[in-house]
Amino acid sequence: MKACQTRGLVADWRFNIAYNAALQLASAALAAAGYEAERANRHYRVIHSLELTLEVDATTIGKFDVFRKKRNITDYERADTISETEAEEMRRLAERLRSGVAQWVRQNHPQLAP
Amino acid sequence: MGNNNRMPGDPIGAALFGATRQAVLGLLFGHTDRRFYQRQIIRSVALGSGTVQRELEQLVGAGILARTVEGRQTYFQANRACPVFEEMHGIVRKTFGVAGVLQSGLARLGAKVQLAFICGSVAAGAETSSSDVDVMIIGKRVSVEDIVPALAEAQRNLAREVNPSVYRTAEFSSKLAQGQHFLTSVVSGPKIFLIGDENELGRLVQGGLAQGAQDEPAGNRRSLRRRR
Repeated sequence: MKACQTRGLVADWRFNIAYNAALQLASAALAAAGYEAERANRHYRVIHSLELTLEVDATTIGKFDVFRKKRNITDYERADTISETEAEEMRRLAERLRSGVAQWVRQNHPQLAP
Repeated sequence: MGNNNRMPGDPIGAALFGATRQAVLGLLFGHTDRRFYQRQIIRSVALGSGTVQRELEQLVGAGILARTVEGRQTYFQANRACPVFEEMHGIVRKTFGVAGVLQSGLARLGAKVQLAFICGSVAAGAETSSSDVDVMIIGKRVSVEDIVPALAEAQRNLAREVNPSVYRTAEFSSKLAQGQHFLTSVVSGPKIFLIGDENELGRLVQGGLAQGAQDEPAGNRRSLRRRR
């Protein structure tokens, strides 16, 4: 989470770091619930699993999913397409998810809480 | 804003075609590389089956749609061999098709959106059914958070993924002034305006250039103009 605030890093990279963090958080919640996403469309599945684990609202999941598609484009097709707003919103989403997952683990799977 | 009630149709589409014809053409010319069977069309446009059937007959009769029969199934598809295929495709795309659906979604955001346009393959008319609709959205305080619910319904109606790029006005203008490659190519490429127009875009470009002239040495300013 700190890395995605690195000053001087282009928006694409700050965005990517925050996206990875958010995806790992969602996977962690899914793992805590005893599941693992299938390999095909893994990112899609992990993102949408948030509805079942943390009961994240539809807008947030929709936004995360928009970012998933953006990450495909920026990683594989075309660099330098991420705007400052998008990088910042991705960071905030990851930030919110971090506290959400921590709280959810404490409440639902206290034996796994750090 | 007063105009978010205009139903799927926009004024141009409504002046040219009735509601059923717009719905049928919107579906078939929205996915020119796909064929649909009659029941699928009726279900998708959610209008009376008799009305839709008559519409299909007329459009096939005029050669605007092509009908193929395979076994017991009848399929309909936009007819590429029709002499006005490109024109029809253009009218649908720019008015009540993709553009109309996205426009009514974005209209809900009111003044938050200063400028919005479709770019990429859909704007160029080179899309396939699997192409995303690339949409550039610019506003002083606009965010992805605002855009997602506004576009969710449009995405469902179009049966197509929408890929929004969201820029704050200041960033858009200053990156253009710096000649950033992505935005420069988007701006000089084909566009279908959804909110605002070429003049509005011109103002944003000029704004960035004026700003750039103030805080940067002169050498950097020409890049955008040269590429256009």
